Amino acid sequence: MADNERWLTAHHDPLAALYTFSSCMALADLHGDGEAKLIIADLGTGAYNMKLKVYKGTNLMSENTLIDLPTGVITFHMDTTEPRVPAVAVASGSYIYIYKNLRPYFKFTLPTLEVNPAEFDAWGQARDDLLDVSMLYEILDSLRQEVGECGLTTRSQRFLMCPDHTSQTAFLDQHKGFILKRQTVVTCVSTLKKSHSEDDAISCLVLGTESANIFILDPEAFTILNSMSLPSVPVFLSVTGLYDVEYRIIVACRNGQIYTLKRGTKIGRPTAELTSQPVGLIRRDKTVIVATMDHHLHSFNNKGKRLWCIKLPGAVLCLECLELRTLSLTLVALALADNRVLIYRDKHLVDTIHTEDRVSAMRFGRFGREDNTLVLVLKGGGLVVKILKRTARFDIQDADGPSQGQVVKLNIPKKTKLFVDQTMRERENCVLMHRVFQHDLYRLRLSTARSYVQALETSSNPISLSQTEPLKLSAQVLGLGPTFKLRVELQNTSPSCPSLHLAVIFHCDDRVYSVNKSYIQIPILVPGIIHVAETLLTCVSELGISDTVRVFVVKGKSSRPLLTAVINMPVAEVFMAA
Amino acid sequence: MGVFDKLVFALGLKKREASVLVIGLDNSGKSTMLNHFKSEDQKSTEIVPTVGFNVEKFKARNVGFTAFDMSGQGRYRSLWEHYYHDCQGVIFVVDSSDKLRLVVAKDELDMFLQHPEIRTRRLPILFFANKMDVREAVSSVKVSAALGLERITNKPWHITASNAITGDGLHEGVEWLTNQIKENLNK
Ligand SMILES: Nc1nc2c(ncn2[C@@H]2O[C@H](COP(=O)(O)OP(=O)(O)OP(=O)(O)O)[C@@H](O)[C@H]2O)c(=O)[nH]1
Ligand SMILES: [Mg+2]
Repeated sequence: MADNERWLTAHHDPLAALYTFSSCMALADLHGDGEAKLIIADLGTGAYNMKLKVYKGTNLMSENTLIDLPTGVITFHMDTTEPRVPAVAVASGSYIYIYKNLRPYFKFTLPTLEVNPAEFDAWGQARDDLLDVSMLYEILDSLRQEVGECGLTTRSQRFLMCPDHTSQTAFLDQHKGFILKRQTVVTCVSTLKKSHSEDDAISCLVLGTESANIFILDPEAFTILNSMSLPSVPVFLSVTGLYDVEYRIIVACRNGQIYTLKRGTKIGRPTAELTSQPVGLIRRDKTVIVATMDHHLHSFNNKGKRLWCIKLPGAVLCLECLELRTLSLTLVALALADNRVLIYRDKHLVDTIHTEDRVSAMRFGRFGREDNTLVLVLKGGGLVVKILKRTARFDIQDADGPSQGQVVKLNIPKKTKLFVDQTMRERENCVLMHRVFQHDLYRLRLSTARSYVQALETSSNPISLSQTEPLKLSAQVLGLGPTFKLRVELQNTSPSCPSLHLAVIFHCDDRVYSVNKSYIQIPILVPGIIHVAETLLTCVSELGISDTVRVFVVKGKSSRPLLTAVINMPVAEVFMAA
Repeated sequence: MGVFDKLVFALGLKKREASVLVIGLDNSGKSTMLNHFKSEDQKSTEIVPTVGFNVEKFKARNVGFTAFDMSGQGRYRSLWEHYYHDCQGVIFVVDSSDKLRLVVAKDELDMFLQHPEIRTRRLPILFFANKMDVREAVSSVKVSAALGLERITNKPWHITASNAITGDGLHEGVEWLTNQIKENLNK
């Protein structure tokens, strides 16, 4: 399928130098002029130079510096003032920064968490010089073992990261005077309409935090209207409904579970279990679509029942919902690690976009004056804007209807009486038959296990698993007879210990075979090197029969072999001819 | 005397009708441009996005002049083709400040040129690279390159930068179109 069949490349700037993720991109008409702008929270270098960038069409229109790494950007209406322009909320660290008309307007701080009392005391004593630096380090370190890294305050985490005594002392001196606070950070943001469902109605902010909570914020007072908790850290949110009426929040968590929160609930209800960690979550109508790290795309209904699941051809980098109002269609776009964006309609692949680099972030919506625009940010920092053609359609191509073979009617014979009787019997005695089968299966397993144990006990296996002498033996028979050559290869499979005092012994029925060298001393066996021991073996029986030959590997004077191989000898062909 | 009166005069039309189709993406300035051509008393002070299409008629010296001001919004663009058959000239307006959508304009132009009613006709096309006053606007040469106008070989075409609000460039363009239509009618 050609790339440009459905998508027009409106803009391509390989040097845009953007570093962002889907959650940090938004499209909104920020100025009320009918032209949607692209808002990107740029992570800069990943350590500094973080910016809130706004693109008007192809031009970078404004830049605001961000002081910490952004985790999410969202636009929402927080009041009813005219003109109806949305505010921008940037989640970053423990704060939500609100921008109105692209000017900083308000900063919301997440509530602090309770500090561990032991930790609090330790810092208190350190401040009063009752504890010295190394004592403090020890206390905090043991506390870390106990409650985990996340249970500590950022200050303690930083302190524990200081590499040596002097830097620890410096850190302590610098920080001990301040109050100890434990803060959490925002992991994801979304919006929830307050009491009206119009596009420009006032919305509440919904925040997911590292402390495994969900907060709903009042858009005017910025107070927490509702706080809910989850068993794990939320990473993706999907919110529908109205705060004042009824709402539903579907959350994908870091533990690979999906939870549902509804109006009136305080704790997330487990809804579905994923096969792996989620990489994106989309909600459409009554279904939830989740892509997971094990290359699968799952679809669930609201109750958590799996509707379908497909295997994807590669690792998913990001996920975006394409809502085509003009076609009343909702598609799912998946960016894969092999520089492709696949577009699915339900579980059918309907389009593929090829990019020159991996896509790290995607946003679909109205950009400029074009409704169906897909904005892609590439791994290398490039920015690509694709516009869906007016004439594009996404029909599911049925694999050319049923193939020839399926149309042909098979000549199926009539059911015989025997078949019917058999079926009846199976239907009536199904439980019994199953039991018999299970019984036999268990017996089979038991006898397998017994033989295995026996083999281990008598060391009659060609690989020695003993800790002291890990050895591997393989034997080969060469020649046609009556004289054969037996070739035994011995290998020491231990990583470093050489084996000493080994010998190979050949044992056979002396009425059938005569062995040239039945005892071969093996020199020191260096790990990894294959040592070959060879002997000639002549068949002396006149009956033209063959027998087995046993090869033992023994150590020193021990009477029990380390390992054993049984060789089934071939019939000597020359004898037979005679 | 409005421009369309001039047009009629130049054509020397007697009791004849000439219709022009005005197309282009939404917000490109089609209605603003036509408003500029209207006589003072008919000029509307406020231009709103066109819904469906508007027909602007000008009666001058026994000649009715009809301009179809089509809406450029995506959902109405499918209406354009219904008027291809009856027009003697086409005005294609491009917002030269909307760089993002130049590809969309090109796509629409390609579909227009491929249309069976249009493909074989020697229909004169006038392009306005409108909104030249806007800071981000690109030059008419760039617009021409972005639309791939050099590929149009079987139709007379002309591109001019314009400002539909002040009227700059409109007269030059319409003069060209008048001459083309006149030539065609005299054949
Ligand atoms: N700066 C500037 N603005 C212009 C120009 N031409 C039109 N506009 C503005 O562009 C906007 C849209 O103009 P319209 O004439 O309604 O556009 P249209 O092509 O008729 O749009 P639809 O009817 O929706 O297809 C209006 O706000 C005009 O004032 C121009 O040359 N320069
Ligand atoms: Mg109009």
